Amino acid sequence: MKTLKNLIYLLIVFLFITSCSSDDETVPAPLGDYVNGILITNEGPFQNGTGTITYVSNDYTTIEQQVFNQVNSADLGSIVQSIGFNDEVAYLVVNNSNKIEVVNRYSFESIVSITDGLMNPRYFISSGTNGYVTNWGDPFDNTDDYIAVIDLLSQTITSTIPVAFGPEKLILINNVLYVAHQGGYGQNNILSVIDTSNNTLASTIEVGDVPNSMVVLDNNLWVLCGGNPDYTGNETNGKLLKIDVSDNSVIQVFDFLTSDHPKHLSADGSHLIYNLNGVVYSKDEADISLPQESIISGTFYAMTTKDGKLYATDAGDFASNGTLKIVDLSTNSEIQSIQTGIIPGGVYFND
Amino acid sequence: MCSASLCAQLDSIQYLNEIVLVDSKLEEFSEGYTLTKISDTLVSRNPVSLSDLLNFNSNIYIKENGYGMVASPSFRGTNASQTAVIWNGIPINSNLTGQTDFNTIATASLTNVIIRSGGGSSQYGSGAVGGSIHLNNTIEFTENSSNELTIYYGSYASVGAIFKRKIATEKKYLDMAFDFISSDNDYEYVGLNRKNNNGEFNKLNISMNGGLRLNNSSLIWNSNYFSGSRNLSGTITTLNKDSYKDETFRNLLTWNSTSKKWNNTIKGAHIFEKYQYYPNRENVLYFEGKSNTIIGDYQLEYNINEKIMVSSILNLTHIKAEGSNIGDESRNTLAAIFIWKQLVSDQLSYNINIRQEFFNDFENPLIVSVDTKYKINQWYSLKANASKNYRVPTFNDLYWNSGGNVDLKPEISYQGAISNEFYFKNFFLNVNLFYINSKNLISWQPDMNGIFSPINVSETENIGLEMGVNFSKSIQENMFNIGIDYAYTSAKNIETGKQLIYVPYHKVTGTIDYRIQRFNAYYQQLFNGKVFTTTDNSTYLDSYLVSNIGLDYFFLYKTMPIKIGFKINNILNKYYENVAYRPMPNRNILTTITFKF
Repeated sequence: MKTLKNLIYLLIVFLFITSCSSDDETVPAPLGDYVNGILITNEGPFQNGTGTITYVSNDYTTIEQQVFNQVNSADLGSIVQSIGFNDEVAYLVVNNSNKIEVVNRYSFESIVSITDGLMNPRYFISSGTNGYVTNWGDPFDNTDDYIAVIDLLSQTITSTIPVAFGPEKLILINNVLYVAHQGGYGQNNILSVIDTSNNTLASTIEVGDVPNSMVVLDNNLWVLCGGNPDYTGNETNGKLLKIDVSDNSVIQVFDFLTSDHPKHLSADGSHLIYNLNGVVYSKDEADISLPQESIISGTFYAMTTKDGKLYATDAGDFASNGTLKIVDLSTNSEIQSIQTGIIPGGVYFND
Repeated sequence: MCSASLCAQLDSIQYLNEIVLVDSKLEEFSEGYTLTKISDTLVSRNPVSLSDLLNFNSNIYIKENGYGMVASPSFRGTNASQTAVIWNGIPINSNLTGQTDFNTIATASLTNVIIRSGGGSSQYGSGAVGGSIHLNNTIEFTENSSNELTIYYGSYASVGAIFKRKIATEKKYLDMAFDFISSDNDYEYVGLNRKNNNGEFNKLNISMNGGLRLNNSSLIWNSNYFSGSRNLSGTITTLNKDSYKDETFRNLLTWNSTSKKWNNTIKGAHIFEKYQYYPNRENVLYFEGKSNTIIGDYQLEYNINEKIMVSSILNLTHIKAEGSNIGDESRNTLAAIFIWKQLVSDQLSYNINIRQEFFNDFENPLIVSVDTKYKINQWYSLKANASKNYRVPTFNDLYWNSGGNVDLKPEISYQGAISNEFYFKNFFLNVNLFYINSKNLISWQPDMNGIFSPINVSETENIGLEMGVNFSKSIQENMFNIGIDYAYTSAKNIETGKQLIYVPYHKVTGTIDYRIQRFNAYYQQLFNGKVFTTTDNSTYLDSYLVSNIGLDYFFLYKTMPIKIGFKINNILNKYYENVAYRPMPNRNILTTITFKF
């Protein structure tokens, strides 16, 4: 029976291991006011998890992770794609959970969750009392893509505008909505032009393959097209296009090399900034050719500019926390490197 | 009628000559390795899948994307492609993914499941790095004719049936097993007021094994067909609509001829695997992949004298794979294996295994392993092994569109283990220490254009301790058996120093059995320590303890033996996840009835 005693002792030791291994590392940070700062959308792990929002104050002294999750004691959802704003309200578009979380943009307190009428929602923009959300529909069906129109007073989807496949980013110029059809899991090469006065598709503009980002500069719409990637078997070059929005005509086209697939177009003063082949280029809008010299190096998952600064995210191995790099564009030197959540896919300014 | 032993060591089992284990080299040339046999009693208590069985009865961490969904192992902290699953001596990991989905393995038709801890690439080829899981069917040339029917019913409208028939004489043997299960699998997420969505599954497995015994030779045929259809469960944050279908068909013919000095074995095998993935089960669109493998294997054993045996194996494998994302590709591999076995004395024996492959497009590493067993006295044996092992890139790694990388090299690992085994009257104790260093690990990472592509990038170091105790005692009509296994695993990425994701530092499994007269009550317990879910160890899953209890009752109806089983899984109704955001079932029941005739 002595062995039995020893055995029971062993059993107790093992059970003890059980009881002393619970960890509580996450101490909720004090809930702040999320005004005057930067918001980063973190997609979260693709298969199993939740996306988050990171807040960074403009003076970089306050950094808070999981803002929505902390304020509302709830998961934000799977693949937080983007944020759109309307006055004091922020629309957090959660792609894989097929919903939009509507929150107060400064307190992040939840107002409502929009779920009906969304299928793979991507980006949101507001115009007057309407919000517009690009939706892929079933990503393997190229004929069911649409723009959902949200009545911003009732926060419900009131109508849909069927569009060509793969609608992605949106930009609003003089009450006209331009929708870039990046092409979902495939590739497309047009912009849809939507008249917001009657919510109908007015026309389409053919651009290069895979229009991935747009920016307005001096009343011209600049569109950056990545081109078809190599694996499609029909690789095409990237393009930068300038569109005159008075008649929607393409007035200038800059061609990249066939193997070059630029992305993340944004503007800094009169400069157009984009990411290509592991470096960032800056082109003056008046230059007649693409720049040869880069300004900084890095391959970024999201990139944007504001007030002479570049905000670029690195998603690392896509299975751990990413980083936000802030670069002073007057000296092209890094000012800050800030930890974000998992797969930081968008940078927004909450002033 | 029912053995209560938790995990008998093979060393203590006497095999009759009439019983033929198709994969004879598993026991013959592995003395320096820890082999753990999971008995048919345990198999019958976990009839749904290999995942359940190993979760509660081994040190292996099972990652399940929700109950019944795609499940992959982490054995001694290695990745999912580094555990080889061996069916009657033939490796069956998918050529497409490099893994075996443990929820597509039906266990009811197997005679036993043996876990071989440690590297086995020299014998079993690619993927036997952390260890290997051996699914065995034995052929018994003893007069027998029996039928067994088990019907089970459980929570979530789970229904299943297993029918087994066996007919044998001293010269001929045939068995067949038919195994079916279907479940709505819509369990409640404990404390979340929600149910598992889109988790329905059904599985069908048909197995046949036959044998003919001639004068000095035997001919054996093994065959297994599996077909499974699953919807893929959502997560806490998503509702899913996708579904998945698997089909595998395996056939193996073995001819063996023995003389006093010589032993010839010729094997021919064909393995078919196919999957279909439906992103939206309401639509007709799907993606598929399939592969056909043909294996020819010739093994010649020669006993130089009573103490020394040499064996050489030539193995030719032809794989042809095609799929929506990989095109149409093939691979031929010739492997030459040489084994030297020596019994130095009654106490000491050792094996040396050398394997060289040819023809592969990538680097063909030379694989070596050495293992030894030293029986110091009646109650104590020391085992040790050291080996170099590898895992070849899968067809998906090489050819996936987009991202496949044809320049990949095999993953290489070096490892060593020491194992101490103590036998006392009612008591068995096993203490293992292991070390594994793996290089060139294949990892999918985004390139400059954001396209994920596999590269040979990381290096890991795993160090661990495993302990197993088993204690049995009979007091008059009362029979007790207690078995506990504990594993400590440190598995670090050498560059970052961080613990690998989904590798728990601690795992404990335990079973207590109590038999009296016609009753057999048991308690199963599983403790998984916390696991990290991100590579920077910033997020993790909490540790959990799950317990099951069960009661079996045996009786005779006229002359027919009947067993009625009742089991409550997750008796404490614990919320737990072994993959993030994918909760496992709440408290649930399983009832079984088995007739033998």
